[in-house]
Amino acid sequence: MAETIAEAPSYAAVEHVNQPPAQTWNHLRINGCSLRLPSPARKGEVLARLPRIFSQLECGIGDEAVSWVESVAGDARYVEVPQGTRRAEPIVVDVDASGFAVEDTGVMLREGSEATVVVSVRGQGGHSASLLRVIAEAGSRLHLVEVVAPGSGSTHLEGVGIEAAEGARIEARQYALGGKSLAMGFATKLGGTSSRLQLDCRYVVRDADELDVNHVVRQLGRNSRSDIVTSGFLGERAHKAMRETIDLTHGAKGARGNETETVLMGGDEVVNKTLPVILCDEDDVQGNHGASIGSVSAEQLGYLTDRGLSEEEVNDLFVRAIFDDAAIHAPEASSREAALARAEQLLGPEAARDVAEGLGLSPATTDAREVSA
Amino acid sequence: MSERQNAGEVDERGRSKVSDVDRSLYDFVKSEEGYERYDDGLTPEIVRAISAKKGEPAWMLDMRLEALEVFHERKMADNWGPDVSGLDMDHISTYVSPQTKQARDWDDVPKDIKDTFERLGIPEAERESLAGVGAQYDSEIVYHNMREEVAKQGVVYTTIEDALQDPKWEAVVHEYFGRLIPMRDHKFAALHYAVWSGGSFVYVPEGVTLDYPLQSYFRLNASGAGQFEHTLIVVEPGADLHFIEGCSAPKYYEANLHAGAVELYVKDGARLRYSTIENWSKNMYNLNTKRATIGSDARMEWVSGSFGSHVSYLYPTTILQGDRSSCEFTGITFAGATQDLDTGCKVIINGADCTTSVDTKSISKDGGINTFRSSLVIGRHADRANASVSCSSLMLDDISRSDTIPAMDVRNRTAQVGHEATIGRISDDTVLYLMSRGCSESEARTMVVNGFANPVSKELPLEYAVEMNNLIKLEMEGAIG
Repeated sequence: MAETIAEAPSYAAVEHVNQPPAQTWNHLRINGCSLRLPSPARKGEVLARLPRIFSQLECGIGDEAVSWVESVAGDARYVEVPQGTRRAEPIVVDVDASGFAVEDTGVMLREGSEATVVVSVRGQGGHSASLLRVIAEAGSRLHLVEVVAPGSGSTHLEGVGIEAAEGARIEARQYALGGKSLAMGFATKLGGTSSRLQLDCRYVVRDADELDVNHVVRQLGRNSRSDIVTSGFLGERAHKAMRETIDLTHGAKGARGNETETVLMGGDEVVNKTLPVILCDEDDVQGNHGASIGSVSAEQLGYLTDRGLSEEEVNDLFVRAIFDDAAIHAPEASSREAALARAEQLLGPEAARDVAEGLGLSPATTDAREVSA
Repeated sequence: MSERQNAGEVDERGRSKVSDVDRSLYDFVKSEEGYERYDDGLTPEIVRAISAKKGEPAWMLDMRLEALEVFHERKMADNWGPDVSGLDMDHISTYVSPQTKQARDWDDVPKDIKDTFERLGIPEAERESLAGVGAQYDSEIVYHNMREEVAKQGVVYTTIEDALQDPKWEAVVHEYFGRLIPMRDHKFAALHYAVWSGGSFVYVPEGVTLDYPLQSYFRLNASGAGQFEHTLIVVEPGADLHFIEGCSAPKYYEANLHAGAVELYVKDGARLRYSTIENWSKNMYNLNTKRATIGSDARMEWVSGSFGSHVSYLYPTTILQGDRSSCEFTGITFAGATQDLDTGCKVIINGADCTTSVDTKSISKDGGINTFRSSLVIGRHADRANASVSCSSLMLDDISRSDTIPAMDVRNRTAQVGHEATIGRISDDTVLYLMSRGCSESEARTMVVNGFANPVSKELPLEYAVEMNNLIKLEMEGAIG
């Protein structure tokens, strides 16, 4: 479990969080964000740190945020998956967002190995962070599932940095399902030939919550490939900023990078900011981006309301689909429970029970009070 | 066509090369002897001297002096955009003027200046297809004329300096000048307002449609100088205007600066098409600002071709203020060796039921850097806005660079926004396919590049499409392969 500090900390702003590699007009206020987080208070302790090689990894959240995590986290956790092995049990990073919890995790996937890493964030009202750094050696395979589902009163910082060598494959699923203020950075360096990233990111932002995302893929390897698919729902007064950068660097011949985003706007006072960037320093590459931003079409809405659904219920259907997806792809209990607990908060106990029963789980498992306790 | 091009030069990977833009049409210098040239640098004395020379009203001098202070106060953003450290205002003269009066007949224009514009094809274009022409040489307009029948419709096409001397139009200039692009917009907007000189004032009365375009051409002949023309266009309700802007300069080894400003007011039900072929020389810092505000049921169309400059910051901005207003932006940027061109557009939608379409192309070669930068802001009250943004980039070699940085800020749930961007090179499959149909490799590649640029060139008036051909299309024929 996460390291917890009992005494009340002081707070300070961590600046330059989620800055994209290529910035634009400052008046748009899309070049990054800042988070108000507890100040480092540890003194005189000797704590475990990750091997220095992990400090080279770009993590999407930015250097200041990484330094903050390293300065406030307790013992860092290092996991190594030996060469040629497939680790059956997922590596779980379980973060309690109800107090003050910070996790710093490093995973080394040796050549030809395979592992699943799960980050689940649950609870509400606190300040939390998770920094995960993964080195995927040649031919290794990483399955990453992040279910970030803190309650509406929470502030959470989520950073991921991955480096993929030749033939390494990264399959990542991100679910951003809650938090008053949630910043997620995700950076991958596809350094090896034919290395590959498939990133699926789904989000639900409601009420006056804020979601800030920075996805960065650096493609250095020949014939490397990245596919980033993001989609989500914004309700009420939600505020979302999504930055996606595909960096096709010189020498990455044959590289392909694709990113698509679909945003469903369901609130009258939502703010949706998108910065989809393609940087290209090589001619023998392909970079594509597509975005679609809008609300439920009048035809779709008419069809559903004719069948007795209110507009709010129609929106809830889309939200429910995202929670279904999160619960289905959550590979172990903590991530599944994080999704279900948050579903209950947003959609009510009946909907959460439906999601759980759809997975063949007993209703007792979905008790939000039990989950968040 | 040169022998080298006929020979079909290839790169180290055996692929055909595209030659540089042929600048011989533009790259000729005329003597500055006898010209009035102010000292390099920026001082209140220089600003006062420019103002005094023009005999301006006091409010304009006050504005200039305030802008000078803002210029010195403001910093350039250091987190985005091309490097402008090579631009030293202490080595730029902000006012250079040929000692001639503005003429209405080309025969009254000094011979070397007339020769310049003849070579650029301006008088010929005026005779054949324009309703009026303004020609600026360095800091001053040297020729201005408009067809009589257009003047009879009440259209005003003159310089801002002349408009300021007429009590009727001075009030109009005062009402609109510097309102759309405030001096605090950015550092070089402030510079512009401190030292502006030349440009055009166009007023199209309500309901008047001009059958032919008006055209202003800006030629910067002087070395180490700046050009700061101001274009102010007011298109009254229901009126229709096509305005064409062209610019060029010979190449020098010291930096030149262009920091113009274009303010466009398109009233309810009006339409304005603003076409630009920018072909500054490769020692030019092009830090230009263009902005339009559009009324209800009105339409703004931008056609923009950027080929020259060492560094460009150019993002025409459209504010769709009125309900049911629309905007279309079509642009192409060609960046070759030593060029770092940061171009694109901004659209701000505030009215209801507005539509926007942005379609841009960029071509990078020989180490040239292209950045497509845009912003689309859909405000809280912009109900049912419909916007599409498309940008395509073509990389012609592996030492060039092309970035796309489009930002979107959508604050209305009823908006529909589509965006797509692609970056790549001419695919070998396409070339092979065309070759299998009997084309040579050079013809195949030329065909692809021409097809890539065609959506922009077809939007240009014929004579400008020809100029664009001079710039890219014809150069690529035979040069690729």
